[in-house]
Amino acid sequence: MREPIPQSPLHAFGLASQARAVDEGCGVWANEIALLGYISLRGNSADPAFVNKVTSVTGVPLPVEPCSFATSGGIKVLWLSPDEWIIVCGGHRLSDILGGLRSGLEGIRSQIADNSGGYTQVLLKGRNALDVLQHASVYDFASLAPGRVVGTTFGKSSVYAHRMDEGFCLLVRRSFADYIWRYLARAAAPYGLGIAALEATGHAGHGVAA
Amino acid sequence: MFVLFCPHCREKREEEEFGYGGEAFRVRPVAPETADDETWGDYLFMRKNPKGWHWELWTHTTGCRKFFVVKRNTATNAIAGSWTLAEGRNVYDAEGGAG
Amino acid sequence: MTDFRIRHPNARVDFRRPLSFSFDGQVYPGYAGDTLASALLGNGVRMLGRSFKYGRPRGIVGAGPEEPNALVQIEAGPLTIPNLKATQVELYEGLIARRTSGWPTLAFDLKSFCGPLSRFMPAGFYYKTFQNQKLWPYFETIIRQAAGYGSAPEEADPETYDHRHRHVQVVIVGGGACGLFAALDLGRSGLNVVLLDEQNEMGGWLLSSPHTSIGGESAEAWLRAILAELQSLPNVAVLTRTSAFALHDMNLLLAVEQLQDHRPLAERSESKPRQRLHRIRADRIILATGAIERPLVFGNNDLPGVLTASALTTYLNRYGVAVGKRVVLQTSNDHVYQGACDLARMGCSVVLADTRSRPNTVWEQRAHSAGVDVRPGYGIAAAHGGRTTHAARLAKLDGEQNTVLAPGPLIECDVVGSSGGLSPTVHLYCHDGGRPLWDESRLAFVAPEMGRAEAGIFCTGAVTGTFGLQAGLEQAQRVTDAVLASLQKSATRKARNLETDEPDSIPARRIFRVPDGKPEGHGKKAFVDFQNDVTAADIHLAVRENYRSIEHIKRYTALGFGTDQGKLSNVNGFAIAADAMGKSIPEVGTTTYRPAYSPVTFGTLAGAHEGDTFEPRRYTAMHAAHVKRDAVFENVGQWLRPQYFLRPGEDRDAAVRRECLAARRTVGIMDASTLGKIDIQGKDVREFLNRIYANAWTQLAPGKCRYGLMLDENGMVMDDGVTACISDRHFLMTTTTGGAARVLTWLENWHQTEWPDLDVYMTSVTDHWATAAVVGPKSREVLAKVCSDIDFAPSAFKFMDWREGTVADVPARVFRISFSGELAFEINVDASYGPHVWEALLEAGAEFGIMPYGTDAMHVLRAEKGFIIVGQDTDGSMTPFDLDMAWAVAMKKPFSFIGKRSLARSDTSAPNRKQLVGLLTEDPTVVLAEGAQIIEQSDLEPPVPMLGHVTSSYFSPELNRSIAMAVVRDGIQRRSEEGRKLGRDAVFAYADGKTHKVKVVSPVFVDPEGARQNA
Repeated sequence: MREPIPQSPLHAFGLASQARAVDEGCGVWANEIALLGYISLRGNSADPAFVNKVTSVTGVPLPVEPCSFATSGGIKVLWLSPDEWIIVCGGHRLSDILGGLRSGLEGIRSQIADNSGGYTQVLLKGRNALDVLQHASVYDFASLAPGRVVGTTFGKSSVYAHRMDEGFCLLVRRSFADYIWRYLARAAAPYGLGIAALEATGHAGHGVAA
Repeated sequence: MFVLFCPHCREKREEEEFGYGGEAFRVRPVAPETADDETWGDYLFMRKNPKGWHWELWTHTTGCRKFFVVKRNTATNAIAGSWTLAEGRNVYDAEGGAG
Repeated sequence: MTDFRIRHPNARVDFRRPLSFSFDGQVYPGYAGDTLASALLGNGVRMLGRSFKYGRPRGIVGAGPEEPNALVQIEAGPLTIPNLKATQVELYEGLIARRTSGWPTLAFDLKSFCGPLSRFMPAGFYYKTFQNQKLWPYFETIIRQAAGYGSAPEEADPETYDHRHRHVQVVIVGGGACGLFAALDLGRSGLNVVLLDEQNEMGGWLLSSPHTSIGGESAEAWLRAILAELQSLPNVAVLTRTSAFALHDMNLLLAVEQLQDHRPLAERSESKPRQRLHRIRADRIILATGAIERPLVFGNNDLPGVLTASALTTYLNRYGVAVGKRVVLQTSNDHVYQGACDLARMGCSVVLADTRSRPNTVWEQRAHSAGVDVRPGYGIAAAHGGRTTHAARLAKLDGEQNTVLAPGPLIECDVVGSSGGLSPTVHLYCHDGGRPLWDESRLAFVAPEMGRAEAGIFCTGAVTGTFGLQAGLEQAQRVTDAVLASLQKSATRKARNLETDEPDSIPARRIFRVPDGKPEGHGKKAFVDFQNDVTAADIHLAVRENYRSIEHIKRYTALGFGTDQGKLSNVNGFAIAADAMGKSIPEVGTTTYRPAYSPVTFGTLAGAHEGDTFEPRRYTAMHAAHVKRDAVFENVGQWLRPQYFLRPGEDRDAAVRRECLAARRTVGIMDASTLGKIDIQGKDVREFLNRIYANAWTQLAPGKCRYGLMLDENGMVMDDGVTACISDRHFLMTTTTGGAARVLTWLENWHQTEWPDLDVYMTSVTDHWATAAVVGPKSREVLAKVCSDIDFAPSAFKFMDWREGTVADVPARVFRISFSGELAFEINVDASYGPHVWEALLEAGAEFGIMPYGTDAMHVLRAEKGFIIVGQDTDGSMTPFDLDMAWAVAMKKPFSFIGKRSLARSDTSAPNRKQLVGLLTEDPTVVLAEGAQIIEQSDLEPPVPMLGHVTSSYFSPELNRSIAMAVVRDGIQRRSEEGRKLGRDAVFAYADGKTHKVKVVSPVFVDPEGARQNA
């Protein structure tokens, strides 16, 4: 039998083969950050036991400030609601984080769900990245500071978008990824869309979590 | 198209991000089985539907997915404020639950 | 060809850049900077169409969005645009334009023969004439063709459109003097400002009055300096060709920006949109929308060559076109004088009839020195001409009453301009609840300076009735201060010289309809609304026929109904109606101003929501595998699901038959990834499910699954699905494909608002899992080949069990559940591995002849077993008992689960409800139409009581006959032994004119004992 090979939600667009170094030729640069591990986490942020346990397992201080995210050691934790987060990690870390959370949060009001197959991320940068978002979403992205994450509309769909120093990152549900990519590409067309080469670190395919 | 303040995300957001949830603070009879048809029917079907200030439930569909309450004037669309369910309950009760 | 150009240096057209364009097939010259209207007038083209009702010749009246007559069709084929106002079409090289009215040809219009009959076509003519509704469609076609609106393109629009959301501190609508001035001050204060204007350049009326001086500078220099500074401010966006057309709640302003239409076709960008919708959310809005001059209403005021006086001024000063050389103007006010002087200085002969017996002496003097022949106390009783204007008959007016004292001279002329005063453009102000105020001293409905300051809306300039330039600038300064103060900022400006050379103005005469000495309706037709051919007499008629509300008068006469939305006609109409009723204008009030201020294309409203970004299309991880196998897809919610897989030589029926038989006889495989999946965890999860579902969850052991019915609080079935117990504090719920989001919100709603104390959290994992249903007698053997760590023995892995294991080397959850009644397993894996596992299962099943099947086969298979599809066999009025599913309701649970109490309501528990049953047609080859009505007798003599309808209907390959499901009144009794004895099971199904005899039976057509799924 063949070796299991995972396919990311934007697999069909063949983005990896089109990726190139970012230059001034295009106003918008984007790519799929494929096949990371995603863990949906819910719990009570007012419960120090919960917060401490999660922080110790991930090594990332659990963001409790609304619409913020924290990152450390290649792991990113996004605040989605006062009792909901998503943990983004390299595939090789998925099993141990899931296991650590499950055993660590035993008896503590919480939910831990592997959602790795359910999400992907789209990196969006370049001088017109903000324009693309303002074509696609009702949110005032100009006001989104680095370190902030927001759940908002994207076309007739929705995304969680966070801003990093290098640009924006859209967290997208698998089944909507095709629509969101097409919408983004359409909005970006007038500015020129390039497929950005990604740095290799932390972007390796996710492992198969038990 | 309104702008609503989400008391959980602590930001003003466009209405497209939200879903309307109808009248807030409706009371489900504690013991439905013993409620007579009229009481149960009132709970199911009767709404205040005021022209004026209205406490209503909204949910931040594309954001935090939390339900919260908004006091909105149905005649002018003026919004007096939005609160978490717990905070809103206090304000609502302090007003005497007036619709 | 006569040249009407006056090539003066102040014109905003570039005389060094000639262009050519065609109108109605004839080629004309024009210049860069022209509008189609100015270019046509520059070539002496007067008549552009014929009127809507009477077929009267019509020409250009205005110079902007107020234009009622000059509707043109631009270009051809897919790029054609109907009903543009020639006054707003920017000229470009090679532009092709056609008239839209005048049928069958411009010179010969059938309706012009109606002219002599026009006294038989009064207001309400269509209402009164076409009462025969059967003939209306026929007349409508002819009337529409004759009425002369353009034609919509018949090919798909090749251009693109987009939306842009903007969030700003201040948006300023209108780039005239006041808007620019406000933008400058606010921009200097560092605010985030958008300034927009519908014209191709900023400046507003200053573009038409270049001789005006501001603070000792020429208007042109003043304008240039401000624009240069605005361009240098990074916090100010200046949008030209951008028309604000709607103002909605909480300062949401919608504006459409023209990005391409002014360019020659060859120079348009393929990658850029044609139009862009700006959705601007602003903390503060300043409306500096200006005013539109309204004409006076007088006899034959619709002749080609009769324009508003301000349009004549604009064509002269801005476009270098003298519409005529012998000009007669009439006015009720001062605004006309500057233009009159300009015309005279440019060599036109100008007679100015001022309806006031004592004009403004300063202006009168200036007019005299410019060579204008001012006639105080005169008005124009009627214009004379046909396809153009030849003369104007003056009348000496009474100084007080609007009556004729004596006939006046007939003055030969080739153009007439009139001014009845300025009507502030209050439309946007009124869209969001603002009410215009009647200002009797200015004879105008105005928006107040402080607008609706509490809502953040301010107004300045002519829209407030401040018609003077200096007064407007001073006001703009005040308004800017107020805006800054409201944002806790203050202006940092030095005192500026805002002095202009305008004389103090004196009051206008209160006149709207210029009298001709005859009773209304007896003189020459005097038009109020040109586009809809509404005359002053029509309004009087409406009042005589006892219409009193201006809203009713509007609808009866069609006043203000056209694409110009009454920009010229409304106030005249209100005033004439008021006079006819003997009321004051504020008593009559205005009609309601609604969006859009000016027409907006569907393309703009749609934006990117078209083509393959029209609507989200959701794909499963295995989509490419289905495409490869020639799947035909159907939309289920937003998902694309394989409906059936076509093999060579097959049609849909053959494919479905093959797929169904594979699942029944050997093995089939279906992509079930689209089902909603909700992960629920917490120590109270069982209690939560007990409350949410109708059935009981307390006893379900880990490793087991159960089918659940979810009711709404009315007791009606709203969703269903299988929920698995993963552990005592962890369940996985499945929902219908279409119900996933609704159910999750439903769960959250109950948890957050009613039961926050329950220790439970839920998260959608729909997208995480790819699901393959392996269905059929051979499914166990297929699974055993790809999974070695699960014991598939019937005793070890029973129906409604689930197991965790490894399928094709991928961690999986395998559920032994069945929506077909066959032995079946649903394999769930991380969706990234969905394609791998899918191919592995097909490979493993190949020796058994495994076949992928689609939703068509799924529907047949489940209907053969009588399994419902929520939303198809139910419609929000079906209780579990109506579905004969009492087994899925646990009435003894301690908490009164959602919907339980309603099941005991008198109506819900009444006998004789519609209930779910099976139907078998007498003729087994007849597949009933879904939706067919169930009736007691074949007799169709009305009334025919309806018993219910067919909800699902298929041909069953397994039974080799048709089957159907239906909801039928008292259906469960009808299909019982007792019902059969009474013959109540014999009913009829009626659809599409045919009646079929059917028997009411159990909906379980195949394997009623369940032997196959339990095998």
